[in-house]
This record gives sequence, structure tokens and C-alpha cells, in this order.
Amino acid sequence: MASKTFSAAMGVILPVLFGVAIVVLWEHQAFHRLLNVKVLQLPLPSRILSVLLENTGKIIPDAVITLRTAVLGLLIGSSIGFLVAIIATFFPRWGYGGLTVLSAFNAIPVVALSPIMNVWFSSPSVAKTAVVSIVCMVAMSVNAFRGLNDLKPFSLDLMKSYASGMGPVFLKLRLPNSVPYIFTGIRINVASAMIGAIVSEYFSSASNGLGFGIRNKLSTGQFPLGWAYIIGASAIGILLYMIVVTFEGLATKHRSN
Amino acid sequence: MGKVKSFFKSGRFVSLVWIIGIVLAWEIAAFFIADVFHDRMMNSKLPYLHSIIGTIVGNFALLSMACATTLSRAIIGFAAGALVGFALAIFMSLFRPIEKISYPYLLLSQMVPILGLAPVVISIVHKVQIGSVTIAASDITRVIIAAYITFFPVATNMLSGLKSVDADKLSLMFTYAARKPTVYAKLMLPFSVPYLFSGLKIAAPLAVTASILVDSLGAAGGIGYNMTYSLYTGTYSIFWASVLCSAAMGILGYYAMVLFEQLFMPWKRGSSKKGGR
Amino acid sequence: MGIVAVFFRGMSEMQNIKGTFRNNSAVRLVPAKENLMTDEMRAQSEIRIEHVSMTYPEEGGRSLTAITDVSLDIQKGEFISLLGPSGCGKTTLLRLIGDLLQPTTGSITVSGDSPKAARMNKKYGIVFQNSVLYDWRNVRKNIRLPLEVMKIPKEEWENRVDAMLDLVGLSNFGKHFPHQLSGGMQQRVSIARALAINPEILLMDEPFSALDEFTREKLHEDLLRIWQRTNKTVVFVTHNIAESVYLSDRVCVLSPHPGRLSAVVDIDLPRPRVKEMRDSPEFLALVSKIRNSFEGV
Repeated sequence: MASKTFSAAMGVILPVLFGVAIVVLWEHQAFHRLLNVKVLQLPLPSRILSVLLENTGKIIPDAVITLRTAVLGLLIGSSIGFLVAIIATFFPRWGYGGLTVLSAFNAIPVVALSPIMNVWFSSPSVAKTAVVSIVCMVAMSVNAFRGLNDLKPFSLDLMKSYASGMGPVFLKLRLPNSVPYIFTGIRINVASAMIGAIVSEYFSSASNGLGFGIRNKLSTGQFPLGWAYIIGASAIGILLYMIVVTFEGLATKHRSN
Repeated sequence: MGKVKSFFKSGRFVSLVWIIGIVLAWEIAAFFIADVFHDRMMNSKLPYLHSIIGTIVGNFALLSMACATTLSRAIIGFAAGALVGFALAIFMSLFRPIEKISYPYLLLSQMVPILGLAPVVISIVHKVQIGSVTIAASDITRVIIAAYITFFPVATNMLSGLKSVDADKLSLMFTYAARKPTVYAKLMLPFSVPYLFSGLKIAAPLAVTASILVDSLGAAGGIGYNMTYSLYTGTYSIFWASVLCSAAMGILGYYAMVLFEQLFMPWKRGSSKKGGR
Repeated sequence: MGIVAVFFRGMSEMQNIKGTFRNNSAVRLVPAKENLMTDEMRAQSEIRIEHVSMTYPEEGGRSLTAITDVSLDIQKGEFISLLGPSGCGKTTLLRLIGDLLQPTTGSITVSGDSPKAARMNKKYGIVFQNSVLYDWRNVRKNIRLPLEVMKIPKEEWENRVDAMLDLVGLSNFGKHFPHQLSGGMQQRVSIARALAINPEILLMDEPFSALDEFTREKLHEDLLRIWQRTNKTVVFVTHNIAESVYLSDRVCVLSPHPGRLSAVVDIDLPRPRVKEMRDSPEFLALVSKIRNSFEGV
């Protein structure tokens, strides 16, 4: 009994200690000596923190822009992906092949997508959102398809024995069954959306957003500010993920899987 | 006759139809943009697929050099990251303290936009001199980021595999009085191979993407560099050719892993076991 | 008359038996707390289980008693079943014998040694309910696994594997992979693997529960034939009364909540057992007797 709480406590204490140790080493320039880097290029944590606090006025609006791109793209892409999965469910033979081909498209690097979208859409924010949407489509379609079709054995037969048509089968069986899978898709997409948003900002002509901030500040030598932006981006990524996980837990509370 | 029929029924046929369909759709869309809407920006928006292929063929030397540069760095980084991820997973399963320390960070890493942090590495890394050989900063950066981005999915999936070994199999080893190295060598590692490949399949396209990203953020070679430079100079044909090449490399990386998987696991993971119940 | 009644009532209470005591030569209900074995028999027994209890600590300070105060002597070459519903501790008892668990109180000795020493000396072959075959190894390599791990000399491997395949009747399937075999065949490979190191004791944990009745009955014949040929001691866990009667020399009836040995039944049916026996009156009487000896299900 005592060992279980000890074990759980260690699960929190040890990583925290490790993290603190890293920060302390960093502050005392251990990594600078190791990697032969100047303090200018790799700012000290204390400096980053102070710059971060000073510049929240600049960082937060940028963060909002990136967040808007990411979330909007996430919603659009996931919806399209979900629709594709539904179509694939109703036309099984051709749909599944379509999904496989779509999966191969997923291997297209986001760095290639971004310039293309920039060329297609004159508005930079639309282009960025488009990139994120495309990135999010595939993961959602694959997961949603699995959710709509990986039914427990005989559950479909049960519905058929009630002489149920395709519509009610969908609404009462497939859709509820797919909820955990959809959340898995959203969880995966949150990370992809953030990456997509930030990377597309690298290539965008627009001079706002966290991605722009990171690249701009670092290339103009404002290293502490650049790192502050990075911390901001990471924090938002973690925050979004936590929100999704919380919702996922609420929505799938009583399920066995 | 039977063989032809079964081909038409197979999944491959469906995929083939889809690919042909997409190619056709592309050509038709390009046609619309060029000849129907008379969009002068046609070349930049969506050129004919066949003209892109023509550009590739015409500039084969240039493009293949660039692809080779990008790909080689990606492969080195991928191999390094995979190795470290593999090793860490094993250490995590052997020593609980290591697992407890690393697990939250592995989890966090999935939430942090790693690719977005590329500029940081670029800003830190500078060129290395070993004797008379100079390794460019951009090369090191590509390898580092590719390794970094490979490391996380490989470690996570491999660890998942090691932890899913069923209790009965472990009990069996126990009754043989097997010692830890034997248990790992004969049971846990072979068992985890499919999980390892899941991680590798996720990481392969990511490693390629990472390498291309560094290219485009200001390296001296590589396909990503071609992409951004051609945009800058307005040579859209090369741009689209580079885009197609990047896409091809990403897909290639994925299918290379699929091929390796077949090699390492020649037994087909059984779909349904016969009889019994 | 009254004295006789009291005497009989006293007898039955002493014997700690529930239900009527019928003087049937095929059935001898032996009370758990007393062993009707002679001292010489006890000295020769291969596995001695003495007052063994197993308690697990649980959350919130409670504890779960898996089995309590079990004593049993198992003879060399005997086929003995541990029979009971879920929660009666039969699997726990098997794992205690095999040194996969350690008892909270009491002791187990195997030919004088501890279970751990027996395990180190390659005395056990174990067969689980799932065949637990490695799907990345073919049949031959699966059978070979214990030989590899327990450092049996390499030269002997091929011969032993051939002998085992022959024993379970799968000589033509050496190069097959587990997923290509039916459930019954997988279990036969599992048995072959257990016997590969030539153990003295075969521990079987509901090996046929996951199979259909037809396959199961076929495997009963195979198992009895193998047992006849190899003379191992078999400890067989099952929840199927008919199965335990058909296969065993003795059936240990375990009852749940808490898990305990409530009766040991001698199966006096002639050997070798034949399928037709399953319908004989003696067989059915035994089954019914055993069914009635469960307590608290």
C-alpha cells in the first residue's frame, strides 16, 4: 500500500527533479561548454524568462493568431476527414481504397504544402488555415473510418434483426461507436495542427503569428525573445492537448475501451 | 481468366483506379485553369502533371542531386534517432527510475510542435571541422532534427511493445528459470518488433519532412532549398517539380519501412486463427 | 436404535462430509482434513502440500484469501485433477506448486525439494489455457524454446523436437507457423513444448477450456495416450466435471469463498479409459457425486 503511493509520488518527483536539474545546468552554462556555444546564441533560462514576462504584450496577440489558424484548420480538416470516412462507410469497396490513397498523401511534407497554398490563396491567413486543414484531414478520416466500422461482433447483426435501415444503424450504432476514435483523431490532429500552423507561418508573407515570431527573432539575433516565442508555442501545444484529453475523458467516461 | 478476374476484385485494383482518377482530375483541373479561365498565373497555380514530369526529366541531374542531399541527411538522422529511441525504450523497461523520469517528457513531446522548433537548432549549430573535412552546419542541423523527430515515436511505440508482452509468456519464461538477458533476447524484443515498425513508419516521413524544412529555411542545397529558391526567382516549373519530388520522397520513406517490415516479419500477422471455439 | 443414529451422525460430522454417505466402491469420499494414506505412501509422494494458504493484500487494507489450509499428497505418475468453479483457487494452487507464486503459510515440497529448486532442475512442464506460442517462431522452433533457454546441448535439439512432434502427432507440421494451425493443434504444440525438457511433472491450467467439445474429447485421448507412454505426474486444472472424471486417478474438489479443498474423490474406473465409459452408469454416478460435493457455490 505504502509502496504504491511511494511509486506514484516518485513518478512525479523524479521527472520534476530531472527537469530542474537540466534548467540549473543550463543556467550555469554546462551545455554551452558541452556544445561550444556562446551565451548569445543559447540564452540563459533566467534571461528567457525575464524577456518572456516583459513581452507578453507582443507574444499573446501572436499566439492568438496562431491558435486561430490551428483551431480553425483543425475543425475544417477534421470535418472533411469525418465526411470522407462516412462516405467510405456507405460505399465500402471504393471508399476504403480512397482512404489508403489519402494516407499516402499524408506523407507529403507540410513544407511542400505551405508554398502551394500560398500560391493558390492570396490571403495569407486563408493559405495557412488551408495547410492545417489538409494536414488534419487524413488522420481524422482514418480514425473515424475505423470508428464507424470496427464494430463489436454481432452488433450489426443485432440491428439487422430489428429490420433497421442504414440510417438508424448509422445514428444508433456506428456514430456512438466512433466517438472514442474521433477523439483519438482530434488528439493526433492537435499536434499536427500546431506544427502545420507554425511551419506555414515560416513560409507566409504575413508578419504575425508565433512561427513568424520564432523565425524572425532568431534570424535577427534576438535570441532570448525567439526562445520566449518557442516557450509560448510549446505551452499552447500542451494546453490544447490537455483540453482535448479532458473532453475525451468526459465523453468516454463509461465505455469499456 | 480467373487471375484477371481476381485482380479486378482486389484492393489493388481499387487503389489503381483511384490513382488514375486523381491524375485525370489533376490534368482536367490544370486544363480548366489554363485554357478555360485563361489564368495567366496558371504555371504557378496548377500546371499540367505531364509538364511537371517533363520538367523533372529535363532537370534530372539537378533534382536528383538535391533529393540525394536531403534524403541522405534524413536517413542518417532517422537511423540515429531510431537507435537512440530503441535503446531508451529498452532501458526504460529495464529500470523503473529511468522510465519514471522519461515517460512524462515523452508524453510532453507529443504535444510540443517539434518541427516548429527547427529554427532554434539552426541558430545554435555551426559548422564542424574534422581534419580536412568540413561538415556544413546545415548538414548537422538536418541530422539532428531528423534524429530528434524520429526518436520520440520510436521510443514511445517500442516501449508500448515491451510493456504489452502477455503475462503468460513471461510466466513461461519464468518456469524455464530464464535470466533477464535471455528473456529480452528470446521473448521481449522479438515480440516488440511490430511495435517498433509502427514507430518507424510514423517517423520515416517526418524525418524526410524535417530535412526538407531545414533546406527551405536556408541551407545551401537539398530539395527544400530548390523549392524556396525557385519560388523566389519565379521559376514555377522547378518549384512544382521540387514539390512533387518531396512528396515522392515522403511516400518512398514510408513504403521503405513497409518493405523492411515484410523482410523482418515474413510470417504474416495472422488475421484469423482457425478452429478452436 | 437411537444410539446407532447418533453414532452415524457423529461419524458423518467427524468426516466433515455434506450430503449422504453412500457405500459405493467406485466412490470413496475422503475428507479433506484427513488423509487416508499410509505413512509409507506419504513418504513416497512426489508433491506434498501441507496446510498451504495464499492471501493477497488488497487496496484499503483488506486482503483476498485465494486458498486456505489446503493439504494434499500427490503420487508419482498419478493423474490428478483440481476441479472447481471460478474463485476456488485451483489455478492459484497450481501456480503455487509450480513456483509461480509463493504461499503465505504452509509448505510445498517436491520430492523433498522446494518448488523453486524443482523449477531450476527442470522438473516442470507447464501448459496454459492459451497456447502461448511465439508467433514469430514456427512449430519446431517453438518446441525448441525451453531447450534453448535451459541450455540443453545443441546436438540434442533436433532429436528431441522430432520425438515430441511424433508424440503429439504433428510430425508433418514442423515448419508451420502458429497462426496456420487450429486451436487444438496449437495446444498440442504447447504440450509438446512442455514435454521437450522431459519434466517429471506436467502442470496443466485448463488447457482445453478454450476449445470446442469435439476437439476437446479428441485431445483427451491424445493426452491419455501421451501420459501412458511417458509416465509423468500430471496436475490438471479444470472446471469441467466430466473432463476431470474421464482423465484422472483422483479428483480434488475445490470450493470457493474462501478457496478450499472440500473433497478428494478416487476415480476407480478401469484404465485405459475408453470413450464409451462416458456413458456408463459408474461414470455418471461419479459425476453426480462430485457435483453434490461442492460447497457454497
